Amino acid sequence: MILLCGIPSESPLAMVAHALEKLGTDYRILNQRDVADYSIAWQIVAGEVDGTLCLGTKTYRLADIDGAYFRLMDDRLLPELEGEADGSPARRHARAFHDALYRWLEVAPGRIVNRSDPQGSNGSKPYQAQLILQYGLQVPETLITNDPNLVVAFQREHGTLIYKSISGVRSIVQALGEDDLARLDQIRWCPVQFQAMIPGNNMRVHVVDQEIYATEIISDTLDYRYARRNGGSAELRAAVLPSDIAERCVALTHGLGLAFAGIDLKITPDGEIFCFEVNPCPAFSFYEANTGQPISLALARYLANRA
Amino acid sequence: MVIVLCEESDMGALWAADRLRSQGLAVTIITGADLATADRWEHRVGQAGVTFELELAGGRQFSSHEVGGVLNRLSYLPAAWIQRVGGSDRDYAIQEMYAFYLSWLHSLREPLLNPPAPQGLCGNWRHPSVWVTLAGRAGLTTPIYRQSSDDDPDAFWKLATVPAPTTVFVVNEQVIVQAGMPEQLRDPCIRLARAAGARLLGIDFTLSTAGEWCFAGASVMPDLFRGGEPLIGALAEALVA
Repeated sequence: MILLCGIPSESPLAMVAHALEKLGTDYRILNQRDVADYSIAWQIVAGEVDGTLCLGTKTYRLADIDGAYFRLMDDRLLPELEGEADGSPARRHARAFHDALYRWLEVAPGRIVNRSDPQGSNGSKPYQAQLILQYGLQVPETLITNDPNLVVAFQREHGTLIYKSISGVRSIVQALGEDDLARLDQIRWCPVQFQAMIPGNNMRVHVVDQEIYATEIISDTLDYRYARRNGGSAELRAAVLPSDIAERCVALTHGLGLAFAGIDLKITPDGEIFCFEVNPCPAFSFYEANTGQPISLALARYLANRA
Repeated sequence: MVIVLCEESDMGALWAADRLRSQGLAVTIITGADLATADRWEHRVGQAGVTFELELAGGRQFSSHEVGGVLNRLSYLPAAWIQRVGGSDRDYAIQEMYAFYLSWLHSLREPLLNPPAPQGLCGNWRHPSVWVTLAGRAGLTTPIYRQSSDDDPDAFWKLATVPAPTTVFVVNEQVIVQAGMPEQLRDPCIRLARAAGARLLGIDFTLSTAGEWCFAGASVMPDLFRGGEPLIGALAEALVA
């Protein structure tokens, strides 16, 4: 049995549920919004993990769950808990249930997409970039500093720079402009990340175990995720990666301990390929909806262990 | 030059630095307070490699190629830096600085005890349930671990901080077993340290009434005093390897 955890109407989860149905695979949805009716209890005995999960009136043995795909929202923000005081029984139960679920997912045997621990590299972009380099992919020249003079010298060396968060906090990528240079002294209290701007088209590569789906994005904005908001456009189309790059993407995904990843590449006009980031919990639905690439089906096959 | 990175309150690390010096190692201590007031950070990642330069208040400078051998005892950002951060962007600033430290520490040359992990700057600060699983798979006798949606999640972390009577240390696959403990613990302890990706690991044991040594917990930032001179010897060897 496959367990899908999160909000059932969220596109990636809904797409995987649909794909599992297509495959005829037995699955259950753990809807976070019903947490009040759920409970879980498990144990580890001599390295073996087992227990029970109760979803409403149904009880399941955890050892019977062969795979799980989870996209859990922060349980503190569940609409059902709105208005509940901190420490109320409902909040305490939701927290305790989610913690017990998370902890089980970390040690459960089976195909878990993805365990929390290996997702951690995404919390620091330059740390992840160092790991990416180990797998033979190029990364943009990056400087992290609190010294304004170094930034000016870096700009002289590389031309247009962009700056973005160092951590996994989502930030809109910005080009370093004259206004930013005028306030550069503000970086003295906390180092900031600057990168040489790489021209070219973005490529999102979804790796599912050994399968790979590359999507090229043609956009007239710096950060295509916000193209519409900024009055720009973004066109997505299925693409084919050079085989050596595809192999590196698969090796990188596995090396990070992930079964599923969304890798952000950029292809320069000269054909050079740079890797920006590996997203360990990619919202692939945007790419599947725009290209028809069967990413959800690949994920369902992986969860069901049907190569 | 061997560096000991630690909070100024980490008496075990300061003691270890002193003892390592007595073994003839050139040891420099960089404390959290030193880092909190650093004048200049420069950290580069690119095709030419990964480098850093750090200039502390008072002019002390460190760079990638000068540092060789680090005893890393920074489990989190320096307390002295966190105390200086306020305002509405405080949480964001802390996340940014943590991400920066993770990358900087990862760029330090080997030998590095311990390399940082996203879940802890001196190694992965695992949940007790994960340690019990890894220890069981490594072949150690483990207690039964239970968790349910009726439990207070914080209670599991509190349990992990209760000191156990005996600690075995693994330093680069060298095992320091306390007197009276069976030699058979060596291999499972090495397997556990390997599985944890830790070059320095303290593994706590309790002795059951049946006379069996039972895994009680593990830490990537163990109490160094407990290892005594044998641990210092192993650290000295590992830090100049």
